[in-house]
Amino acid sequence: MNTKIPLILLLNLLFASSAMARPVSYADGWMAMVANDADRNSVEFNYSPTAFYAIGGMHEYMRGEKYNVDSLTLNILAKRWNLPGSQANFYIKSGIGIAYESDRSEPAAYTGFEIDWENRRYFTLYENRFFYAGDIETFAKHTARVGIAPYIGDAGDLHTWVMLQADYEPGAEDDFFLTPLVRFFKDDHLLEAGYNLDGAILFNYTKQF
Amino acid sequence: MKKILFLTAIAFILQATPVLAATVNVRVSGLVCDFCAQSIKKTFGKQDSVTDVKVDLDAGSITLTTKDNTSPDDATITKLIRDSGYTVTAIERTP
Repeated sequence: MNTKIPLILLLNLLFASSAMARPVSYADGWMAMVANDADRNSVEFNYSPTAFYAIGGMHEYMRGEKYNVDSLTLNILAKRWNLPGSQANFYIKSGIGIAYESDRSEPAAYTGFEIDWENRRYFTLYENRFFYAGDIETFAKHTARVGIAPYIGDAGDLHTWVMLQADYEPGAEDDFFLTPLVRFFKDDHLLEAGYNLDGAILFNYTKQF
Repeated sequence: MKKILFLTAIAFILQATPVLAATVNVRVSGLVCDFCAQSIKKTFGKQDSVTDVKVDLDAGSITLTTKDNTSPDDATITKLIRDSGYTVTAIERTP
């Protein structure tokens, strides 16, 4: 039995990244997002003065290049389409801060957009992120998801989704990942867990307050 | 002239007074998930006149139970839901 595995899982839970959930809460709502995927861990806290934007802070650890990023974040719900039985959203997610490793630091900035559509049975999402941290790292990343709910739950029920996530980072050593995952959603808790074909764990948790 | 002023004043008072109703059923577009439901519940939970909020994702509707048979008027309900990011399609009141 490899005793490092529980330790790695614990570290993954403690150091997390922006979950693929809605990045803006309801008016006067707080949100904590913890996540971990194939190449990044982060934790983000934000506050939504209205249902259309959120401000907050995020800490990230980039496992591949082994550096940290601390940033102030601004997430904007630029457009929502409310349709009978479905909903689509267009978010812009940006941040500025500092990237640092053991012997140097650089100013960091990033932006990207997320567009999603879901009804109670199907879910689709595409998002990108353009990240700049000077000599430490600069990258663009694209993520897409599709999901299906095996049953339809009503408000307050446990909602379950089976999803497939594809990540593409041009120029990276491992530039493409496919991650099957499950999403559990109840009240204001959202938990996602997956395991990609290269053995990396995906774990996201979001809580609204 | 006095009669017109009197009727105008009555109409103004009636418009400004919260509408009497035991329950209000609001049909809403875009209600698809529990985060939507939580958002609506927390928004109306802050309203003094609302004692209970039920969200029915199957029907795409919200049922508000109000205190002392008073409830927010249609314009207030519509604004609260729009500010939460959703769209009202109909409001029905049950005395």
